[in-house]
Amino acid sequence: MTSRARRNGRLGIALAVAIFAACLLLSLALGPVSLSPAKLVGYLTAGPGSGGPGGIIFWDIRLPRVLLAFIVGASLAVAGVILQDLFLNPLTDPYVTGVSSGAALGATFGIVLHLAPLPWMTLLALAGGFATLATVWVVARRRGRIDIYVLLLAGVTISYFVTAIISVMMIRAHEDMDAIIYWLLGSFNGRSWPEVEVALFALPFMVVPLFFAREMNILLQGEKRALELGVDVERAKRVLLFTAAALTAIAVSVSGVIGFVGLVVPHIVRLLVGPGHQRVLPIALLGGAAMMGIADLLSRTMLAPSEVPVGVVTTFVGAPLFVYLLRRRRSGS
Amino acid sequence: MSTTRVRRLTAAILLLAALALGAVALSACGSGSDTASTAASPSAGPITVTDDTGATVTLDQPAQKVVSIAPADTEIAYAIGGGSKMVGGTTYDDYPEEAKSLAKVGDFSNPSVEKIVALEPDLVLAAGGIQAGLRSKLEKLGMQVFVVDPTTYDGVMDDITQLGELMGLEANAAKVVEDMTTAKEEVQARVASLDRPATFIEVYSKPLMTAGSKTFIDDLVTLAGGRNIGAQAGTGFPNFSSEVLVKDDPAVYVAMSGSQSAPGAIAKRPGYSGLAAVKDGKVYVVEDNLIARPGPRLAQGLEQLAAMIHPEASPAP
Repeated sequence: MTSRARRNGRLGIALAVAIFAACLLLSLALGPVSLSPAKLVGYLTAGPGSGGPGGIIFWDIRLPRVLLAFIVGASLAVAGVILQDLFLNPLTDPYVTGVSSGAALGATFGIVLHLAPLPWMTLLALAGGFATLATVWVVARRRGRIDIYVLLLAGVTISYFVTAIISVMMIRAHEDMDAIIYWLLGSFNGRSWPEVEVALFALPFMVVPLFFAREMNILLQGEKRALELGVDVERAKRVLLFTAAALTAIAVSVSGVIGFVGLVVPHIVRLLVGPGHQRVLPIALLGGAAMMGIADLLSRTMLAPSEVPVGVVTTFVGAPLFVYLLRRRRSGS
Repeated sequence: MSTTRVRRLTAAILLLAALALGAVALSACGSGSDTASTAASPSAGPITVTDDTGATVTLDQPAQKVVSIAPADTEIAYAIGGGSKMVGGTTYDDYPEEAKSLAKVGDFSNPSVEKIVALEPDLVLAAGGIQAGLRSKLEKLGMQVFVVDPTTYDGVMDDITQLGELMGLEANAAKVVEDMTTAKEEVQARVASLDRPATFIEVYSKPLMTAGSKTFIDDLVTLAGGRNIGAQAGTGFPNFSSEVLVKDDPAVYVAMSGSQSAPGAIAKRPGYSGLAAVKDGKVYVVEDNLIARPGPRLAQGLEQLAAMIHPEASPAP
């Protein structure tokens, strides 16, 4: 790494931290009912259960929801970085491995059987996610190696298959159709501390890829080259794939299937700071969190007191931003 | 293509066309004689009404074979004594009991056009919203479609009157409307001088959804002496922010039973602990078919809502 790149990297991380903090503050303060910074400090110091309706809004509704959006956004962005680079495919998002569809199927079972969201629906979603990962894994395994190409195709195929099952369940259980559709669209509406507790399990998985940054950099040159350079390619693939799947499954199990963040944030970050994973991973983590936080903020406020599904907002915000950056890079180079 | 083939094809088409013409002519004669026979009845002459979509529905004579693809319409048809004219319904039909045994043409959101056609109805009763696209399809197939999509309690009564005309059951319909009017006036008299407590109607819980303005549920809340918080969120059935719910602090919280919420479970939701309705024990679950179906049972729904919003002014159940 040249000293200039290193300096850019540090600058990038510092900038990402600043943006992250600003977005966190905005998300906590703004909403259909806005809270001034002074009030925020007041509620924080007074603790839960005080401060009247404002305190209830902050502690029971706003804070857990914002935390959840940030954790889910970070999880999806990190999973997106891992999978795009493992598959060497820019169109990859956290959902291609079939994990999200599996999780959605699990949640759909939970809805149709009228189980409580927590812990049963979440557990079913996690189980569904990991079950599809296991299936895809077995299909892609040959002589102890995982064929990345087969894994991608198997993941996409199983996604379609599982989605077809969900469609049949939706038609059969028509009185639950709305619940299933809204779950699939993804939302942080009505989520609170129990969901945050589940999402916290994603935090260790966000750290894992940082230890594999060197391996990921080398894998960008292809598996053959990585083997020549002495990388334990299979081990790196196993750990990274499982990490991405765990992040996706946890995110989907608490929020539904929220698109675009996992696809676009890694690209935006690479466009801004280059491909090195020591920089891309932490910046994508912070950027994914910030983007999801802002998207949820817009989803709460744009049509208040009504709400817009957050997945719609991530696309509305993400797509133009992405196109702009693509154009800028082309004219710059 | 050779000329002989073209000639043969033309001949075949002409023959088919002639057959079709003959069939149309024959059926025209048939229906002509029908009209003649019913001309003796007092309600002769075409019946024309304008439904909730502004479309005109015209029948030459009172409907004899009716298919309903909306459970509310089925309830109206039975309530005005038209049960014997019903030939088809949907899997959603559950009231009255006899409606359950109607031939099924599918479910509410996706009825089968083929099955409806096969029953040869002279009138199809539908709802608005997701069934809007279906109307043109059915009308192209030569069917008369009456859409019940009212936005007020009075609008429901108008629809009942109109359906009475279409089915030749005006007197029965007038009786149903009279009962509904009485129920409305009694409730209004009881709550007229009282405050209007902020009331929240939960239509759905995941996500939180309410009844906005220009819905007959909003009208019911107003008639029952409440102030519908959901009206500020727009028309129809919008999502509703839980933050705004806490801020607006409803004194009465009514969940529809289709929302699958028990009063105890509702009180435990995040942020709900501070709601006046929770503190005062004014969280209720109402049978959703009584307030969500624009039919005659809306009168019962109105009475129940009034008892929840103003228990002090309502007779003990």
